[in-house]
Amino acid sequence: MPTGEAYADWEAVYRDNVDRVYRMMFAKVGNRPDAEDLTAEVFLAVLRPLRVSASVGEVRAYLQATARTVLAGHWRRTLGLEVTTLDDEHTAIAVVEHTAAAPPNRTRAILAALPANYRRILELRFLDSCSVAEAAVALGVSTANAKVLQHRALRRAAQVAQEVRP
Amino acid sequence: MTGRGLRRHLDDLVAGRRPRPFRATPDEADELRTAIELRAARPGADEPREGFVDGLHARLAAELGATGPAVVPPSTGAGSGPLRPVGRRRLLVQGAGLAAASAAAGVAVGHALTAPGDAADGSGTITPAAGVWQTVAATAELPEGAVQAFDLGTVAGFVHRVDGAVRAVSGSCTHQGCRLRLDTARNLDCPCHTTVFALSGALITHQLPVAPPPLPAFETREVDGAVQVYAPQA
Repeated sequence: MPTGEAYADWEAVYRDNVDRVYRMMFAKVGNRPDAEDLTAEVFLAVLRPLRVSASVGEVRAYLQATARTVLAGHWRRTLGLEVTTLDDEHTAIAVVEHTAAAPPNRTRAILAALPANYRRILELRFLDSCSVAEAAVALGVSTANAKVLQHRALRRAAQVAQEVRP
Repeated sequence: MTGRGLRRHLDDLVAGRRPRPFRATPDEADELRTAIELRAARPGADEPREGFVDGLHARLAAELGATGPAVVPPSTGAGSGPLRPVGRRRLLVQGAGLAAASAAAGVAVGHALTAPGDAADGSGTITPAAGVWQTVAATAELPEGAVQAFDLGTVAGFVHRVDGAVRAVSGSCTHQGCRLRLDTARNLDCPCHTTVFALSGALITHQLPVAPPPLPAFETREVDGAVQVYAPQA
């Protein structure tokens, strides 16, 4: 919908934005149960008081601001941390604008910058959904070694991720 | 060594379970963020379930009472908090020039629409009996899309540039006069009753029994690299 137009009713707001909000939430939390709850929380918070709509663009901006608040509350409850650590304003906006192709490119760049065994354990665990034990078998190491490897690989990948900003 | 809390959290994440809370250090949060990014990069991972989209739609419909008599759903569904009963609600469309369009589109109107420029309720353009042009920003400070707050003592507001033109709106809520603040979504939030206005002055949301009028605008002009508004002298 053109951002200058207005929505006819709350259902139009929902249908036009539910996918966008859900995907943004998924990108932020990486799991379905939390992404579903947080998406519901955003729409309940936004649609309850929403009686007046100026334009599609303004409703979306309001959805995004609400999503950010909801996420901040989620991270406080889940990790005991304030917003800044896990909420990155750039990604929030980029994801809401629906750049579906961007994250995989960035992910590839991060993985490519890692030593082979680090890359392999992260692929097995987080892309192929292997358990630690399964990943250990695939790598031919003990489970304890796989845990250590996962930790070091994530640590290194997190450092690389700081450098590979979108 | 990764803490036990993070390891368990990551195991949940990979298994598709709701990850259990743990007290994270900043380093652990960075590592978790990277793991989440990898999870989210799997093709199709962020596709919402069909059942979820329809289920939430039904829940909202019940909540908002838009598909029939107001129904209070049992608050047992997955998700956040108890639902409270809400009467039939409609989304009103409001804003400059939108009144006619929304009427034509058959949008139900619960109370009178008040477009900016309608002086009947005090909104519209601020026209002081004895005003002077006062500089609130330099032209160079206000590129396309920029917003600046100003305070002239007698009045305060926000000036912004859209489509090349400079516009200024009042920075006081039209409900009880609380000072509005610019939020990260570039809307103006009232700290008193969570009312939100757009920079155009149009009301976006409110939780008041009666919708407050839109924000009045100032007359603006640009002279010799200065952005000015017409306002009473301090």
